Formats: sequence, structure tokens, C-alpha cells
Amino acid sequence: MKPRFFLMLEFQSAGLAYGGIKALEAIDLSIQPGEQVCLIGPSGAGKSSLLGLMNGRLAATSGAVLLDGKNLGELSGKNLKQVRSSIAWVPQDLGLVPNLRVNQNVACGRAARKGLAGLLKSLLVMGKGEKEEIAALLKRVGIKEKIFTRVDHLSGGQRQRVAIARALYQDPQIILADEPVSAVDPERAKSLVELLTNLAREEKKTLVMSLHDVGLARRFFDRVIGMREGRIVLDGRPDDIGVEELYRLD
Amino acid sequence: MRRRWFFLGGVLLFFMGLWVLEARPGELVPNEGGRTVAGDFFKAAFQPAVNFEDPEMQSGEVSFFEKLGKALWLTVRYALVAMSLALVIGIVGGVLGSRAWWSRPNLFLQVLRIGVRLLATAVRSVHELMWALLFLSAIGTSPLAAVFAMALPYGGTLAKVFSELLDEGESSAAEVIRVSGGGGFTAFFAGVVTSALPDLATYALYRLECAIRSSAVLGFVGIPTLGYEIKTAYEDGHYREIWTYLYALLVLVVFFEWWGAKVRSQLMNGVAARRVMEGDCGLASLWKARGRSWFLRASVVLLLFGVTAGWLVEDKWGAGVSWEQRMRNLDRFTDEIVPFPVREADGDWGEFGPWFEEKMSDGGTKAVWRTFHLGTAAILLAGIVALVGVRFAARTLVSSSPRGVREGNSRHRELLALLLRGGSMLARAMPEYILAFLLLRVFGPTVWALIFALAIHNAGILLRLGAEVIDNTSSQASSVILAQGGSRSSAFVGALLPVGFNRLVLFLFYRWESCIREATVLGMLGVSSLGFLISDAKVSFFYDEMLLWVGLGAGLVFLGDLTSDLVRHKLRGKTS
Repeated sequence: MKPRFFLMLEFQSAGLAYGGIKALEAIDLSIQPGEQVCLIGPSGAGKSSLLGLMNGRLAATSGAVLLDGKNLGELSGKNLKQVRSSIAWVPQDLGLVPNLRVNQNVACGRAARKGLAGLLKSLLVMGKGEKEEIAALLKRVGIKEKIFTRVDHLSGGQRQRVAIARALYQDPQIILADEPVSAVDPERAKSLVELLTNLAREEKKTLVMSLHDVGLARRFFDRVIGMREGRIVLDGRPDDIGVEELYRLD
Repeated sequence: MRRRWFFLGGVLLFFMGLWVLEARPGELVPNEGGRTVAGDFFKAAFQPAVNFEDPEMQSGEVSFFEKLGKALWLTVRYALVAMSLALVIGIVGGVLGSRAWWSRPNLFLQVLRIGVRLLATAVRSVHELMWALLFLSAIGTSPLAAVFAMALPYGGTLAKVFSELLDEGESSAAEVIRVSGGGGFTAFFAGVVTSALPDLATYALYRLECAIRSSAVLGFVGIPTLGYEIKTAYEDGHYREIWTYLYALLVLVVFFEWWGAKVRSQLMNGVAARRVMEGDCGLASLWKARGRSWFLRASVVLLLFGVTAGWLVEDKWGAGVSWEQRMRNLDRFTDEIVPFPVREADGDWGEFGPWFEEKMSDGGTKAVWRTFHLGTAAILLAGIVALVGVRFAARTLVSSSPRGVREGNSRHRELLALLLRGGSMLARAMPEYILAFLLLRVFGPTVWALIFALAIHNAGILLRLGAEVIDNTSSQASSVILAQGGSRSSAFVGALLPVGFNRLVLFLFYRWESCIREATVLGMLGVSSLGFLISDAKVSFFYDEMLLWVGLGAGLVFLGDLTSDLVRHKLRGKTS
């Protein structure tokens, strides 16, 4: 079954607790297809937990998280894999294999579609067509010349671009990025957030990214969700939210 | 405070070991006969043989260097063939003993994992020399027995270490693949195995280096490798030939160590890509300019060639004994490993208890106790030697600017460090068993020879690891001590040692486990301990007793392994 286009994410009083400690309080939230959403808030506010619920990495301990009407917490096995193949994830540490080349890391984006045999073939003897497709994608993120370079030979900024390319290569409906620019300088962070939001817009993909930088959140996203202590305390268009309100989150 | 107790405990344990082992200081000086032998033996080191010492052999059909070449090739060949089998065991056992490939934990997988790990530990607890004795007793002399004898414990060791490396290799790359809908196996291979591959390959190469040493040692039980030539040359009193064989073995092991280190460096760091012309971003140009290592490619081809040749060239893996004869040997062996009273009582295992008690009180308990102390005393001695040596071997302490503080010319220190490092390399390259064999000829039949053999080899290893720890320890405090006029030794004792202490202890326990394992076989050279009882039982064809002593040795190593694992696990948390 091919994933349906334009998936909608909906939280219905979704809560999350770890051993009795509440990480998220009953969250009600809906994210429309193609929206560019930024989660903002101090460390421990629940941003990563919220992202974890969105791709079913974590299961809500109360309420439900629906993707295109399906309760993620009730999915398992093949159905869960199918849903997940339409959601890309860029974790904080980027999740790259350092001793593999850039093209091999990007190829891992299609692990679900290729299966084990297909992925091993890509890693060992990648076909010309796939190399060209990945090269085109790397050109869009600005590092085509690094296609055959080992990831541990790249700078921090270049690695982030590889992670973005891998997410796009998956051809997902939704991209989730968990503080992907936390380890780079402000100038580089700006250009990476700009790149990712522009690419997501061009490809009409939903983007949910957690950030610390209020300025970036206001400048590049359609919607900003402010969190504190496991609750959503702000939600709206950047223009409708005062700068003080955002800074007060910290 | 804790460090002080550790040192005090170590010293007490060392002297207690000497008391249990009855190692008398008077035995440290060889008697007159021993001194003459030692003098002749060491004199021969400067005149290694280039031809047979026996004039009759010189006119024979086979030249000395042909004989040496054959022994070298057989040493490498058995090591390669055994490692190829051990790798298969290691990969299967490593994956089954790891949790990195599970989609989600369940009881069956947990039980399987623990079972495989215990089996791997049990198999590696029996020393390859003991496996060789068991196989030789069971099926008769055969090169295949030597290969299996190495493949089993090495396979167990690889399985154990591979499973640990795979579990440690669990990365967010695997998590990304899993969360993006890739299956557990896909995530395991693409995210975990790929990350751990340089470590897995490096460890396998290190084991190949060990297999070469083991292959040489197997010569002492009749396999025609370098050890066999060393033993027969000694029995004939041909010391110069022994030195030629020893030098050849050293060159071989040092070559494999150098090769392994170079492969490791290239796997870990990769090879930088060449620059392409400005504006030339065609895929073909980028592909051509990618970082690639001809050295790695040649290494893989050579290894594959070596393993294939190793398997195919042998025309008598069965060593000329008929299959029927082997089956008869095996039948007799399986009958005779059942304890004698049990056999006499028509398989009544109720007779086992009294027989076991009798054997233990007859010398078994004493042998286990002595074996434990032999390994422990040797590692403590090695630890002390290495600790002192590290101060003078660590590069960051002997340079003209130790820890970044200019001190002026220090050529003599650098020379000493070079000598220590060279000595450590030679000590590492020399198998403990061969060292013990030679030292027993110098000191006579005393336990000191075994203690020194184990201590020399392990001091070499600990000195190298310790110097690396000290060189990689970042400590501003050491620079402050030096900048304020303190000596290098003050910087070492006052700043570097406290920071690196836990790591050094970690390595000590890692080697202690190996020392106990080696101690179980060194007695086979004729000094009272488990190994002595094993070879005595073998010569008398008392296979039931032989199996009992092998089992006790394995039990001791198993306990040492678990204790060492436990201590290292505790220490590891305190070293990061």
C-alpha cells in the first residue's frame, strides 16, 4: 500500500509519563498537511517527547495520537512500519554512520522501501541511477562534491546537510527534526533552518522542528508552539505571538 | 585511600602467591649447570644459525632455510585456517549473543542471548593447548586437530567480543532506520554492523596475531609448526638454530602487529579524497577522486588468498590415519573419559562423588590453588614492572617539552623510551609458553621460570597500553607541576597516575584473566599445577583424570573471566 498524501497529525488529550513522572500533560493539537511548525521551549519542556509521539517512537500513556485518522499507539508490525515510512526523523545527533560515505548514508533513507537485501545492495554496489538521484539531492542541499566522502571527514554543518538529504531521500510526508542545529554557530544554524524550511515548502511536506532560537522560529515557520513543563502554553502564527511571550518561555 | 588499599592488597597477594607456590629466593640464581646452559644459550643469540648445526643434516636433501620456511608457512597456515573457522563461530555467536538485532525483547531471545554468551565463555575457558590434547587423544595426530583446537576457543572469544561490540555499536543511525519503517534486521545491518565494522575487523586481526603465537606453541604437542622446531632443536642442544627460529617468530608476529595497526588506522580514519578540479563536479570525476586505500584492498585479497591456500594446499588433513582407525580412537576415548569407578560399576554415577573427592584431596585442590596464584603473582609482577616502565616510556613525558612545558634536551630519555618500547614489543611477540620453556632450561625446574614467563609477556602488553593511557590523558595539573619546576616523575605520580589509574587497573584485570588461562597450561612443562596433572594423566592414558583437570582449569578460568568482567564493568563507569 502506497502511503496516502497529505497526512494530518492529531493529538487527542495525549499524555506521556515515564514511571509515574509526567513528561507530557493531556495535549490537544492538530497539525495540517504542509504546515511548517516550530516547537520552542526550555530543555525538559517536552519537545522531544512530543516529536517521539508523532512517529510512534513513544506510545502515549493516555489519550491518542492520530495520523490520518489512525491511532499510532494501536498500530504494530507491518502497519506501523508503513506509517513510519512516510515520516522522516532527524535526531539531535543526526543518526549518521560515521565510517560510511555520504551516498551510503543517504541511501539508508529508503531502508523501509528497499528492505534488507535492497539496502545491502545499495551499500555495497550502488547503481548508477541511484548515485545520480542522490547526487541531485545533495546538489540541492549544497554538498554534491562530498557524495563519496566518509561522513567522519565532514564538518558539523556538512553532516547536518547529509541528514537533511537522507530525510528528503526517504520521500516522506512529514519531517520531524529534533533540535538539528543545536551544535552549530548562529549563522550556520540560520542557513540550515532556511534550507530545510525552503525544501519542505517546495516539496509540500509537513515539517515539525524543535528549536531553542526564538528568532529563527519567528522568521522561518508558519506556526510556533511554545511548551513548558509538558504543556503547550503558546500556539499560533509568529506574527500573532509577542516576542516577550516567546522569550518568557525560557 | 582506595588506591592505597589496592596497592597494599596487591603486594600482600603477591607474597602470599610466592608462599603458596613455594618460590624460594635461592632458586632465582641458577645452579652451575644452569649457568653454563644459560651462558651457552645467550651466547648463541649473537650467532643465529644459517645452516643446520648437525653436519649430517647439512648434506641432507632439505636445506635449513627450507625447513625454517616450511615451519613458518605451517605456523601462518594453521593460524589462518583456524581463524577462518573461528570467524564463522564468532559471527554467528556474536549476533546471537547480542541484543542489537532484536526488534523488541522477548523471553526466548533473552534466554538465547545468555545461553550463547555462557557457551562462548565456557568454550574459551579451555586453553587451545588443552583442546589440542583432547583432540589429539580423541582422534589421533592430525593437523585438523590443531586447527579445531585453536578455532574453538578463538571462536568463543570472538563471539563474546563481537556481541559486546555490536551491543555498544547500537546507534541512533539504527534508531533512525527503525523509526523510518526499516525492519529490525535492516536497522541492525545498516546502522549497527556498519558502525561497528572497523572495531570488529580490528579485533579479528588482533586475534589473528594471537593465533600465530598459538599456532607456534602447538608445536610443543607435536604439530610441525615453529614450536616443534624450537623444541627439537633444544633437545638436540642446537641453541643457534633455536635463536634463528625465535628471531623468525618475532619477525612474523611483529609484522602481523604492524600490519594490523596499519589496517586499523585506515579503517578507523579512512583515506582522504583527492581534490577535483574547480567546477568539475561530474559523478565520474568525484568517484575517481574518492578516498580509497590500495593497502586495505591488497590486505583483503592477501587474506582471502592465504585462507583459501591454507585450506586447499594441505593434502593430508587426516595425517594418513584411516577413518576407521580414527573412529576406533574416538570410541576408546569416549569410553575412557567416563571416570574409572563409574565404568567399573556399569555406569553408576553414584561412584563419581567419592572418586572426585579422592582426586581433589590427592592434589587437585592444591593444583587449582597453585594455578590461581601463579597467574595472580605473575600479573602483579607484570603490573609493577609496567607501572614503573610507563613513566619512562610515555611519549608525552619523555619529550623535550613534556606535557607542553619546555624542559630542554632530553635525547637520553627518548632513547630509553625507545628501548623500553622495543623491549615491550619483543615481550609481546614472544608466547608465554615458549618463554617458560626456555626459562625453565635456564633456572631449572622452579616455578620462578613460569612466573617470569607470564610476567615478561604481560608486562610488555601492559607497558604499551599504559603508555597509551598516559599519553592520551589530558591533565592540566601535570603541566602546572612541570611549569612550577616539578620533575617529570612528580607530574606522573601527582597528576597523570591518579587520572589514568582506573584505566590502568582495568587493563590489569583484563590481562589477569589471560594470565589465569595461560597458567592452567604452563604446568605441562613440568612444574606442579593443573597443567602438570593434565600432561601426567595424558601420558598415563588416564583420560578420565585428564578431563577432570581440564574441566577444573576451565572452571577456574571461567570464574576469573566473570570476576574480571565484573570488575571491569564497575571500573568502566568510572573511567569515562
